[in-house]
Amino acid sequence: MTLEHENFPQTELLPDGRSVVVREMTISDEPRMVEFFQSLPLEDRNFLRNDVSKPDVVHRFVRETEDLVLALVAEANGRIIASATIERGLYGWTRHIGEVRLVVGRPWQRHGLAKVLLRHLVRAAPGAGLELIKGYVAGGKVGAQKALEAMGFKKEAILRRHVKDVAGRRRDLLIYTNDVSHIWEKMEALNADFSPTQGE
Amino acid sequence: MVSTGIRIGGLGGQGVILSGIILGKAASIFDGRNATLIQAFGPEARGSACSAQVTIADDPVAYPYVQNPDVLVVMSADAYTQFIPTLKPEGLLLYEEELVTPKDLPPGVKAYGIPATRIAEELGRRLVLNIVMVGFFAGVTGVVSLVAAEKALLSSVPKGTESLNLNAFRRGYEHGRSLVAAA
Repeated sequence: MTLEHENFPQTELLPDGRSVVVREMTISDEPRMVEFFQSLPLEDRNFLRNDVSKPDVVHRFVRETEDLVLALVAEANGRIIASATIERGLYGWTRHIGEVRLVVGRPWQRHGLAKVLLRHLVRAAPGAGLELIKGYVAGGKVGAQKALEAMGFKKEAILRRHVKDVAGRRRDLLIYTNDVSHIWEKMEALNADFSPTQGE
Repeated sequence: MVSTGIRIGGLGGQGVILSGIILGKAASIFDGRNATLIQAFGPEARGSACSAQVTIADDPVAYPYVQNPDVLVVMSADAYTQFIPTLKPEGLLLYEEELVTPKDLPPGVKAYGIPATRIAEELGRRLVLNIVMVGFFAGVTGVVSLVAAEKALLSSVPKGTESLNLNAFRRGYEHGRSLVAAA
């Protein structure tokens, strides 16, 4: 999971002047991760795959990291304020695809933190051999869409009235993808062993 | 006065020349020694024979061609067949063990193999096979230092690919160190 050339923790300055520390998640974060996830309003937790308000779910989340390319947390004032992961398939036809998951606490939403964390995830993807990364966003989550688009993601598909919000209303599910394989085109060119001066 | 002649052979598209560039850069820029690189291609850019000749020396290199290498690194069967007769007696052969089967090794030659293609595929990119071989070379020979080789690697590969390339290098390096330790 560790990126050898990335040095964490890193202090990041947000556009509003506040600074946060971004670092890799560790097992010892479990109690603070529970605290963070339980601090999320039900409306936000509803968009997550698992019920992370349950300590046993978080217990597994911090330990079962085999499929995680990178798991980051953002901290401020000693508290975890955001969680960001990129997860990959370990076998088969989706092995080249990673999925980003990002949760930012309410007081820190719309302050540029999502973009900061996404940037780290996007940088990590090609290093893990991923060619494509994707993210799911519920329709209406404008801030999340803007953050993804700012980091090179493109809206790939819309599943109409696909998911339900906390009030039981059906909402669109947007699928964003970012093709990071182009980064390797330069490496392919370097490896081509072709000399433009050959034959001169 | 120490001088090491290296020939790297393989197919076009395997990154033979980039391997030579990284080794030369490691020695000359980051280890403070001297290095030269000569590259040769087959009639086509891809899929045909390609080789690099690298000389690494304490003193300036007066003659850059490597006719009889001290170390031969091969990444294809053709390269092995073509270049093995040129390897010095008591020379060192480093080969990709799934692509090359050493036969009729000259007496006195030491040979070490690595499944570089498989390692590269495990890491997610077959493309980094050559970087595994560079790490293997550094691990077995010690001709370039670990620190210098890693710096040369990171300054030679495209932005965004550093992490995977570094992992590939280190897998090759560790494999090389373990073979030498066991020998």
